[in-house]
Amino acid sequence: MRILVIGAGQVGTTIVEALHADHSLVVVDTDPDRLGVLAYRYDIMTLEGNGASRRVLREAGIVDCDLVIACTSRDEVNIVCGILAEKLAPKARTIVRTRNVEYLEVWLERQLDVDFVVSSELETANAIARVIGLPAARQTEVFAEGQVLMVEFDVAPGMSVGETVGRELREAVIPPDSKVASIIRGGRVLVPRGDASIQPGDRVIVICSPDAARAWGHILSGGRSRAADVVVFGGGATGVAVAGVLLEQGARVRLVESDADRARVVAEELPGVRVFHATGLEADFIERERIGGAEAAIFTMRSDERNLYAATLLKLRGVRFTIAIVDDPASVEVFERAGVDVAVNPRIVTAEEIVRFAHDPRIRQLSMVEGDRFEILDIVVRADSELLGKPFRDLPMTGSLIGAIIRGEQAIFPHGEDMLQPGDRAIIFTESARMHQVERVL
Amino acid sequence: MAGALGLVGRFVRYLGLAFLVPAAVALGYGEPAWPFLASGAITVAAGWLLVATTGGRQRIGVREGFLVISLTWLLVPAFGSLPYHFANEAQLANPIDAYFEAVSGFTATGATVLVDVEALDRSLLLWRQLSQWLGGMGIVVLAIAVLPKLRVGGRQLLQSELAGPTELERLAVTIRETARRLWVLYVALTVAMALVLAAIGWSGLDEGMGVFDAISHAFTGISIGGFSTRNDSLAAFGPAVQWAVAAFLVVAGVNFLRLYRLFVQRQPRALTRDEEFRFYLGFLALGSVLLVVEMVGNGLVGAEGAVRHAVFQAISIMTTTGYSSADYTEWTALAEMTLLLLMFVGASAGSTGGAIKVVRHLLMAKIVYREIRQTVHRELVLPIRLSGSVVDERALRSVIAFVALYLIILALGAVGLLIDANRYDVEVGAFAAIGAAAACLGNVGPAFGFAGPFGSYEPFSDLSTGILTGLMWLGRLEIVPVVVLLTRSYWRP
Repeated sequence: MRILVIGAGQVGTTIVEALHADHSLVVVDTDPDRLGVLAYRYDIMTLEGNGASRRVLREAGIVDCDLVIACTSRDEVNIVCGILAEKLAPKARTIVRTRNVEYLEVWLERQLDVDFVVSSELETANAIARVIGLPAARQTEVFAEGQVLMVEFDVAPGMSVGETVGRELREAVIPPDSKVASIIRGGRVLVPRGDASIQPGDRVIVICSPDAARAWGHILSGGRSRAADVVVFGGGATGVAVAGVLLEQGARVRLVESDADRARVVAEELPGVRVFHATGLEADFIERERIGGAEAAIFTMRSDERNLYAATLLKLRGVRFTIAIVDDPASVEVFERAGVDVAVNPRIVTAEEIVRFAHDPRIRQLSMVEGDRFEILDIVVRADSELLGKPFRDLPMTGSLIGAIIRGEQAIFPHGEDMLQPGDRAIIFTESARMHQVERVL
Repeated sequence: MAGALGLVGRFVRYLGLAFLVPAAVALGYGEPAWPFLASGAITVAAGWLLVATTGGRQRIGVREGFLVISLTWLLVPAFGSLPYHFANEAQLANPIDAYFEAVSGFTATGATVLVDVEALDRSLLLWRQLSQWLGGMGIVVLAIAVLPKLRVGGRQLLQSELAGPTELERLAVTIRETARRLWVLYVALTVAMALVLAAIGWSGLDEGMGVFDAISHAFTGISIGGFSTRNDSLAAFGPAVQWAVAAFLVVAGVNFLRLYRLFVQRQPRALTRDEEFRFYLGFLALGSVLLVVEMVGNGLVGAEGAVRHAVFQAISIMTTTGYSSADYTEWTALAEMTLLLLMFVGASAGSTGGAIKVVRHLLMAKIVYREIRQTVHRELVLPIRLSGSVVDERALRSVIAFVALYLIILALGAVGLLIDANRYDVEVGAFAAIGAAAACLGNVGPAFGFAGPFGSYEPFSDLSTGILTGLMWLGRLEIVPVVVLLTRSYWRP
């Protein structure tokens, strides 16, 4: 596969490292020194120039590329590059890296014409949420103008069995307006028949309404009676994304930011987060606000040195679990040696996410489990479909599942007695192998 | 400053047309029309003179805006009081009294120096009612809406008249279109109220309510003015009229921008989600309940009467209208105290009502709550939100400054009244003095003691009348545009 990588920073470098052996790579960057280092280390082609320039992209041979990855440090450059790529090389798939979560939202609403958008901030935040053990709900797809979501949940390994988890699906308590599309256990995908059950440690894919997604999040947080108490240090973009994700998952979040104006901006942006204007390191402040009592502290300040110092100090003051964002890849080891529980490098996390999608030949499908391929189909039911007028409970159980129907403007999450009508839009979760069969019968 | 005077001249010039309405009424009732025609001619001529002498320049910046607003609201009532002189009305023979009556009119206050309102000619009565209607939504707002090619930004002018602490939310792209839409809504509400009242009269539910009274009360109801054509104000009518009027007052006390979204753009959420609207209703309910309990507890009137009078007075006083269905000065001291406090609440921002306004109370409460939280958590950053969106710190500071100014001016006014009353041996108690000052500064109208609901401000000396006139003027412009003119830095180039 011929891959064009725009941007040779940390993300670009990590991607090159992962993909150079199996694919032919062209790397574009404005900085000749960075390109020199890469070209010296790997067998790749490099080109100096601006990735948002049509001339440069043509020169880099974009027309013949199968995959374009725009991963410079600047969102707007990446987006322009992605849009140009869609036009210059219509058959190539495009991946755009952004920091700003807003661009990701625009893409999820299908208003940004690229194949895949990865938000560094959100990836980092999700990674941290997973580490803390909150049920990381990753919103993977949005359908029907936001009425239907496909959400992926990680069920915590230590979760106790209850009304939903550990029970056969036909008896389990499932939030209304939702359907379990898939259960992934140890790399294997289980078809969620009535006798299947969700077990601790599983990953579950649910097709549901936004309300039901919240209900699922609540159930899979293990009915935790008390929300996790988390302190985030640093109110930069990463800190805000982390705080936002944790808040969404029901944690009690405090955020400490040393710059007054920035603290104000964060407080305005996140009404549910208690924002403090402080360095967060004064003994008096830590004592008065009982920072030491927090279950976890996350350090997202700009410099590695400050994060390390702060994490060490807070550990001394009694915080049980510390997670730090690191800038320099070499710092990961330093941090972990120094006693920080987890060190996360956002750029590595982002690069890994991009590489995951690059490995997969079809980008729209989910590639959550190696070796299993799924498709989400969004199909309008034909007037002569053989499935019309049959109640759902009589439809054959194959590897596909009708997650939701859009009838008129309304989203319906079908039950046994519902029937398909001509003109319905069906959101279908299916194995790739059965995709054509599904398209035929509908 | 010439530009400012020129603009004031243009406003005044167009005011001349308003005199045609009472002139027509005078002709209809066979009363002399010349006082209105003469007043109109003088007004147009004076306006024209102002424009001519200043060369018609009208480059209005932020600075000139304050002067324009303040001067307009001083001059317009001056011309508006001309018919009172020309009509030879004995009760308004004193020019200070006539000016008081006109200011009380245009500022939609409703305080009166008349003892016998019904003695006035119908045309003069209607002019009195009409002046409240013209001033209720704002003279400048009207001017911006109708004046051709008024080349001013107008935003700040509109902001000063459409009272409220937060940024003016636009209904349309241009200020002129916003002003137009507000006036269309204002006219529509007035027509609706007149029709409802007239229908009550026609249907025989209330024999006393004729077409003239219906239109007159629609003028002063939707504008939250409070002038009545009857000596007994709304007590001259039956329960049906009183309930209908109360309902219209509640509507008129809501932010007109929200009303527009509700009635014209069909966005009820704009209203139901509005925190100020909820608190506005809450304050009304609280005031009504307090008064009902107080009245029933003391066996003052029968059950229906107690509820009706309590609710009516709570609405009338809190929205700063000033209509009366009963003489509350004969109620208990606690009831009077409740009403005095309601005078400080006021209507919603962006309505035609006056006083401090509900949203400022709401923001003050939030500021205080924030201070209390921050005494425990010193470093906590707490932006204040209103209906979900963050309120600028500057706007919050201006709320505090406004409330402080409001109370200081109220205190000065009340003290001034007492000093003057002492000199002229007018019987004014401390409570009555505070009440009169609050009723004028809040553009409410009736106060306590002899200036009560069926009383008159007539016993006050000329100086006191002047003080009260000033308070009405300050209250209508929400103080700041006037106080700014008193600072030295304003006049420095």
